[in-house]
Formats: sequence, C-alpha cells, structure tokens
Amino acid sequence: MLQYAAIVLIMLGLYGILTKRNVIKIIVSLNILEIGLNLFIVSVGFVDGGLAPIFTSQNATNDLNFVDPLPQALVLTAIVIGVGTTALGLAIAKTIYAKYGTFNLDEMGEK
Amino acid sequence: MSAILLIVIPLLAAFLSILVKKYSANILLVVSFASVVLLNYIPLEVITIGGFAAPYGINLILDQYSLIALYAVNVLFFLVVAINCAKFKKLSSILLVALAGLNGMILTGDLFNLFVFMEVSGIAAYLMTTTNQKPLATFNYLVQGTVGSSLYLLGLILLYAMFGTLNMQDMAFQISSSGYHIAVTAFPFLLMFIGFGVEAKLLPFNSWVQGILGSSNRLTGPMIASVYAAAIGFVLGRLLTELFVFEGTLLLIVTAILGFSIVAGEAMAFGAKKVREILLFSSIAQAALVALVFLSGFTGLAALLLIANTAGKLILFLITNTATDQLGNDDISTLQGLFVNNKVVGVSFTVAVLNVLGLPMFFGFVLKMNILLEFFQTDHLLWPAVILIVSVVEGIYFIRLLLKLWFKESDLPQVEFEFTLKYVVVVVAALLILFGVYTAPVEQAADDLTAIQYIEGGNL
Repeated sequence: MLQYAAIVLIMLGLYGILTKRNVIKIIVSLNILEIGLNLFIVSVGFVDGGLAPIFTSQNATNDLNFVDPLPQALVLTAIVIGVGTTALGLAIAKTIYAKYGTFNLDEMGEK
Repeated sequence: MSAILLIVIPLLAAFLSILVKKYSANILLVVSFASVVLLNYIPLEVITIGGFAAPYGINLILDQYSLIALYAVNVLFFLVVAINCAKFKKLSSILLVALAGLNGMILTGDLFNLFVFMEVSGIAAYLMTTTNQKPLATFNYLVQGTVGSSLYLLGLILLYAMFGTLNMQDMAFQISSSGYHIAVTAFPFLLMFIGFGVEAKLLPFNSWVQGILGSSNRLTGPMIASVYAAAIGFVLGRLLTELFVFEGTLLLIVTAILGFSIVAGEAMAFGAKKVREILLFSSIAQAALVALVFLSGFTGLAALLLIANTAGKLILFLITNTATDQLGNDDISTLQGLFVNNKVVGVSFTVAVLNVLGLPMFFGFVLKMNILLEFFQTDHLLWPAVILIVSVVEGIYFIRLLLKLWFKESDLPQVEFEFTLKYVVVVVAALLILFGVYTAPVEQAADDLTAIQYIEGGNL
C-alpha cells in the first residue's frame, strides 16, 4: 500500500515539474518527487510485523523477523543529497530573482 | 598506494582549501597533478571498503578499463585546471570536489555508491556553471540533472527489491542466473538508462546542454564537454557492457534513442549559426555514437573513441571560448578570420576538427575505421551506413567552419592566446596526430580492453 502512495507522490512531483512555470514551485515539486522516492525506498525494506534490525539482549538471534536495514541507510544518504540540491536550487532561484525581478519563467523573456 | 587515495585526497584538499583560501588555487593545481602522477603507482586491484567483503560492502574496482578512464579524466581535468585556476580561484574547492566525484564514479563497483558520486560531481557541475552568468540555464540543468538521477535511483531500487544486491558484478550474476524473463528487468534498466541519458547528453533528455555549453566560459565549456563527458561516457560504457541486458523491444528502443541522437545532433549542428552551438550539437552526436559502439560490444574501440572525442573537444572549446570571452559573442561572422594571425592555435583547432571527423592521419580515423570493420564483420550494415552519412554531414559543416575561421581579407578579430593555452592545445593536437600515424599501440589497447572485460549478463 505504501508503495502506491510513494508512486502517487513521484507522479505528482513530475507533474509539477513539467507544468509549473514558477521557479519556487518547481523546486517544491522536485522535493515532492524526492520524498515520494525516499518513501518508495523505505517501503522496499518494510516487513509486515518486522522488528527494528538491532541485536539486543532480548533479540539476540538472526532468526527473527527483522526489517531490511539497507534501504533505510540508502534513504538517509538520498535525503542529504536532496537537501543539498534543494539548497543549491533555492540559491540559484535567488540569483534568478535578482537578475529578472520575477520567479515566473514566462515573464523572463529568455529561453 | 591504493586507488582510494584518488577520491580521498581531493576531498580532503577541498575542505583544507576552504580553510586556507589564499592558497586554494595552488592546492587545486598540486592535487590535480598529483592524481595524474599517483595513477602510475597504483596496482590494479579490487579494494574492499570498511572490511565488509563485496557484495555486502562497497568495493572499488581498478581494472584496465577504469585505469584508462582515470588517466583520461585526470589528465583532461589537470589541463583544464592548469589553464583556468588563476582566473577561477573561487571555484577551487568545488573543482576539487568535482575531481573526487568523477574519480569515485569511475572506480566504484556499487550501484548506489555510483548514484552518490554522480550527485557529488553533479552538484559541483551546477555550481561551476553559475560562472556562465546564466542562472536560468543553470537552474534548468539542476532540475533535469536531479530528475535524471532520481530516475536512476528508482530503477536501482527496483533492481535491489528484485535481486537483493547493489554490487554491479553480483547484480549481473544474479540477473543471469535468476532465469527471469527479459521483460522483468526491462523497466528498471530503462529508468537507469534515461537517468544516465540526461548526464550523457543523449537526445531527448538533454535540453540543458544548449543553455549550459552555448553560454559556457573557458572553464565550464571544456569541463562539461570534455572532462565530464569522458567520465560519464566511461561509466555508461561499464554499465552497458557489464550490467544492462538490452534485448528485443528494449534493445530497439535504446538503439532508436541513440540513432536519433546521432542523426538529430548532426542535423542541428549543420543548421547552427554559432561556433559553440556547432560544437555542442556535434558533441551530442558523438556521445550517442560512443554509447552505440559500447552497446554493440566493441568496448575497447568505444573507450578509445571516447578519449579521441573528448581530447578533441578540449581543444575546440578552449580555443572557441577564449576567443568568445575576448570578442563578446561567438557568431561565425564575428570569429571569421580568427586564425589568420593565430596560426599555431589555428592548426591545433584544425587537427582537432579533422580528428573528430575521422580523416586519415588522425587518431579518430584509426578508431572509426576499426569500428566500421567490426560492424561489417558482424554483418551489421545499417550502422556503418548511418556513421558514414553523418560523417559526410559533419564534414560539410566543419569544413565550412574551418574555411570561415581561416580566411578573411581585412578587419581581422584581435584575440590574444596565452602561452599555457597554446602549449596545451599543441601538445594534445600532436598526440592526436601521433596516434593517428603510429597505430599499433591503439589497436593493441583496443584488443586488450575488449579481452579483459568481465561479462556477466552483459551484451557481448
């Protein structure tokens, strides 16, 4: 079920990137796409009724129903990268505003 | 000495260069030269990171293929930096991060790690292109690059969900031994290919190229068209030969994309009115041609063709962008007669163009001829025909351009080329001629590279 929600978010993000003409809205759409993607990655490792993949005194055997920890590690990295791109995108948006005085792509009069 | 130093040293130097800003340009120059020197002392090996053996841990693969790729990328990077570091001091840290990212991308044997390095070098590239003073083009590049790498990541996660591994060789092995129908892996492979297509400038995913390279300066032009193109091309080549399984309809789709890129790229270059646009459209066509040769299984020739093209593009973009910086624009009419007073630079430019065209006596000829021979030997007649026809189109617009640049009676454009630039372009041009005449080592290297490829689930 989680996968469907993630795919809907990814599609929403793509739709936003393709249709919006405002620089900030495009960055927001990019973020929605990334969140959907991250959710999808986490959902891959999900196990119904699974335990957190940590060895403790109670859970000291490999036979238990652990969830897959690798996608969680991947998502952490992907989130950090996403934040980096968003920050850079916003910085560029600021330069665009300083140069053209607008965030709207149609009002800039340049390809 | 270990190959991991090629990633660690630039990354460490990037942080240090922030602390000692005054010497950041010197650090950049020393580190990029040191990476080239270091390549001579590292043995070919597979490096395990963090004590976890592959496929559980990340490994770096330094084989013959990645060694050649590293030589090409590091040497080109050093040349670009050596010419530009004084003028772009502020970018020193970013360039060091870019070097770490590019080296990592070539070395890594892990698909997710590849995504990380792709993003690292990508973000460095976005930052570099801000010096073009075209924030809208940079923004466009950022959005397309991010969507591309997101698609790559999506494809990668689908593969992980199916096969439970991220290691390239293990993945290839699992795919070939799973016995799944080809359609199962088609979608993730296509997503990953499109993701790479954005960075590798394949049509129709490359609308950022015109904004970025069309208004590039002396740093970004050669860096994106030459250094980045080489790194991405080599990585795409590794994926195409070792991992991706393209068959049936999927193979048709991918070859159609590549064929379209070649034909449309050359057609657009033919119609372009500005020098940089001619160069950037022709580099789109060449990137697709290299990918096509990789896809056809001629790994060694494709790798060398990639080097020949990127070395040529280095010369072309360096000269064009220097002239454009001084003259204000890059219309052919503005640059007409540029080489009348700059004969040395002009000869190097001509050599690079003829090399890209694949005329006899130049490096590009040896490669194109061998590629055509290989195609004929495997009974493929369509691609040789396409390659020959687009070569004629290429010939027409490049020769037209050369005639304009060489001949003008009066009112010549005044452009100063400094000694370093002249030195670099002359040496690279001389090498292109040397390997065009002395072909034995080239053919040997191509055979060696094709022979050592580790193939599991690949196309060959």
